[in-house]
Amino acid sequence: MAACVELKNVTVVYPNGVTALSDVDLTVNDGEFAFLVGPTGHGKSTLLKLLYREETPARGQVLVSGWDVVRLSPSRVARLRRRVGVIFQDFRLLPRTAWENVAFALYATGAPYREILRRVPQALSEVGLLDKADDHPSSLSAGEQQGLVVARVLAVRPPLILADEPTGNLDPRSSRHIMQLLEGASRQGATVLVATHDPAIVNAMGRRVIALHRGRIVDDKPEGGYPDDLAHG
Amino acid sequence: MIWHTVDFVCRETALHLKRDRLIAIATISTVAVLLLVLGAVVLFLLNLRLWTDRLAHEVQIFAYFESDFPREQAVKAPEEISAWPEVLSTEFVPKEEGWEWLKDRLASSSGLGDMENPLPDAVRVRAKDPRHVQALAARLEHLQGVKDVVPSAESTRREGSFTGRVVQAKRIVFWAGVVISVLVVVAGAFIIHNTIRLALHSRWREIYIMQLVGASRTTVASPFLLEGMLHGLLGAAIASCVLVPVHMYLRDLSARATPFLFLAPDRALLPFTLYLLLAGALLGVTGSVVSIRRYLRRKPEWEA
Repeated sequence: MAACVELKNVTVVYPNGVTALSDVDLTVNDGEFAFLVGPTGHGKSTLLKLLYREETPARGQVLVSGWDVVRLSPSRVARLRRRVGVIFQDFRLLPRTAWENVAFALYATGAPYREILRRVPQALSEVGLLDKADDHPSSLSAGEQQGLVVARVLAVRPPLILADEPTGNLDPRSSRHIMQLLEGASRQGATVLVATHDPAIVNAMGRRVIALHRGRIVDDKPEGGYPDDLAHG
Repeated sequence: MIWHTVDFVCRETALHLKRDRLIAIATISTVAVLLLVLGAVVLFLLNLRLWTDRLAHEVQIFAYFESDFPREQAVKAPEEISAWPEVLSTEFVPKEEGWEWLKDRLASSSGLGDMENPLPDAVRVRAKDPRHVQALAARLEHLQGVKDVVPSAESTRREGSFTGRVVQAKRIVFWAGVVISVLVVVAGAFIIHNTIRLALHSRWREIYIMQLVGASRTTVASPFLLEGMLHGLLGAAIASCVLVPVHMYLRDLSARATPFLFLAPDRALLPFTLYLLLAGALLGVTGSVVSIRRYLRRKPEWEA
């Protein structure tokens, strides 16, 4: 199976001198579903940001579907991001209606208008927001906003989905629903990488678990649960 | 796909205009005031140039032949002179015609009618440019059979001569026009750039999110460029709505008050308005391009 994500000897140092990731080597294959776990501030979000070029490493190589992410031109970065759906922890929704948020993501990928008209209600329906299609994110609850971000990603059907704490703002029932949607995307062929510090979800799913601690990969199990030594910080 | 893109850009632009009404009003009024100043300067210079051009064409040189120079040779002189590159027009003036013209002009002077015609045959020459008058006069002085040239090369060389003043006035008008226009355009582009930057700053996060979901720079920038162009066009339209009627009124007024002070005809105001609209659109687009480049490359401060 081909590698979807490859990190080779990657180190990330922030401008304030903090080393977020240190000599990380990681491979995630096409169609794989994996959890990135570890305490807050230990490099999970930074690792995801490398994959859609929001951050660049100080050292090392980052490959997504064979593309050397660090060396991409601005137009190539846009093309990369159309292939990588990101569920942001802080939502990052546009100040326009739920329908327009999903439609914009589809428009950016170059989807035909007819396809946009078909896929937007479908995605909103999957997250239970079809009746709020005309609402602005500011009038939605945190859980609903998270659902809208998921709908934005699902509508595009990208080959790689990155989720940064996708259940952080949700009740257990909604969390389960979101994870089911991500599993569904994985079954349809998407590679899914979920950063979380919620042991309940990780343990319930029984998928690959990559543990990060102080910017280093300290554990990588193909079908594991949340590492006990990281569960309490 | 093209119509889809056009539809998207138009919808986005409409959304921007609707959401940031205050910024739109600020930009449009800034462009309007600026183009009002630029337009007024251009109209003033246009009229001044019209006036100096008219004056320049009034400058004519008379080359008077020796009184015994054979007329059949003098008649051929205009053909030779009109081949000179600095000459606009040339005409043979028989001494009889010259005498009649002089008598008409000096009708109030008594006794001219009884006098014998003292004038010789002459050639009237108009220069293409008043700057050429001195060289032309010097050349005419060396023409076969020519006795006197009025004005002479010597008199045109002197400071304060009519042609000298016209040449100087044209030069001043040209350079004043260039300097004022450049200053106004530079100041305008700077003001528009800052106003649009203000608009963009409020949408910095939005621009960033659009790029995060895969929108190309062109996709993100297009609505802002169209918005800038619309701001410029609307500002220019407002400026034209003030300048054109004011100019028409002043033209009417001047035509009635002073028959010698001609203002540009109304038909010249159509190309003027079109140029002003073009200038407004260009200013708006340029201001947007300069501003948005900065925001396409940077993370919003709260995301960094």
